[in-house]
Amino acid sequence: MLRAEYKAEGGKLIKVQLSKEDNRIGFIKITGDFFMHPEELIEDLEKSLVGCVINENIIAETIRRFVEDRGVILLGATPEDFAKCIVKAGGGSG
Amino acid sequence: MVEEWRLLDTGLRDAYYNMALDEAIAIARSKKLVPNTIRFFRWEPSAVSIGYFQSMEEEVDIETCNKLGIQYVRRRTGGGAVYHDRDGELTYSIVVDEGHQLISRDLQKTYEVLCSGLVKGLRVLGVPAEFRPINDIVVEGKKISGNAQTRSMGVVHQHGTILRDVNLKLMFTVLKVPSEKIRDKMIKSVEERVTSIKKYLGREISFDELKSALIRGFEEAFNIKLVPGEVTEFEEKLATKLRDEKYSTREWNFRR
Repeated sequence: MLRAEYKAEGGKLIKVQLSKEDNRIGFIKITGDFFMHPEELIEDLEKSLVGCVINENIIAETIRRFVEDRGVILLGATPEDFAKCIVKAGGGSG
Repeated sequence: MVEEWRLLDTGLRDAYYNMALDEAIAIARSKKLVPNTIRFFRWEPSAVSIGYFQSMEEEVDIETCNKLGIQYVRRRTGGGAVYHDRDGELTYSIVVDEGHQLISRDLQKTYEVLCSGLVKGLRVLGVPAEFRPINDIVVEGKKISGNAQTRSMGVVHQHGTILRDVNLKLMFTVLKVPSEKIRDKMIKSVEERVTSIKKYLGREISFDELKSALIRGFEEAFNIKLVPGEVTEFEEKLATKLRDEKYSTREWNFRR
């Protein structure tokens, strides 16, 4: 499992655990001390990222779309912060 | 006529019940069974609560907690891990209708408004507290209170901690630190960032004194009157159910 931590500009810490398949996200778990409403959508957000190419712009766009479609509110971390952390985790050889 | 809110003081309870009762009050409020409510509570045994999105294994030294008889529980709110010392810390929760004039659509603004009651209360005690975004209250730049909020079912629920006294050594025995080597260094750096009422004033403030000050702070900041009340039968039954079926379960506490 690949792991990374990233301190968001808002001050919150994002942690990502993922597995990689052909430079795409196989499994992903996002944890940390950020705020997201409704909370229970975190698992759907993770699911929406499975299969996504590990590329910062693509991941950020996927998360932005999820946030918009599902009416999610983020506080203390942005889609870009999540994307940075995911790419940091997935950057090494998987 | 000043608006009346219910004041609950549920004293010392275990971690699972404490978190279950918070949710039960929010559900009761959403069904209009109870008025807007402010609750004070403490933890017996001492406990660690983690944010909704945190991993229990990553944040909490489970083995040490088990050895010391310290409970651990996942909150329904986001945010970070908190050590709730039985004798050091007071916890509060606010449950208020989302349509209330105190509540704005802007989460950051709502934190600031709801924290203003605590800020006022701490100032009553001579502690020059200030709100610091996103969700902290600080004194001379050092954190004295952390707060977390969620909204669902048309209800805003915020809870948080006020450090009356703090034992950082114990705090970092139960919360995981990146490595043993940096534990002392980390405690030192946290010492520069965290304070308590006792540390700032140089004297002990009793729980009763603290609660009286916070009641005044909330009443003045929110322009309300807090009327001492009781947990309803509906809330009590639901809290017991949520404790047994959710907050005390491994599925919930270790789900992330």
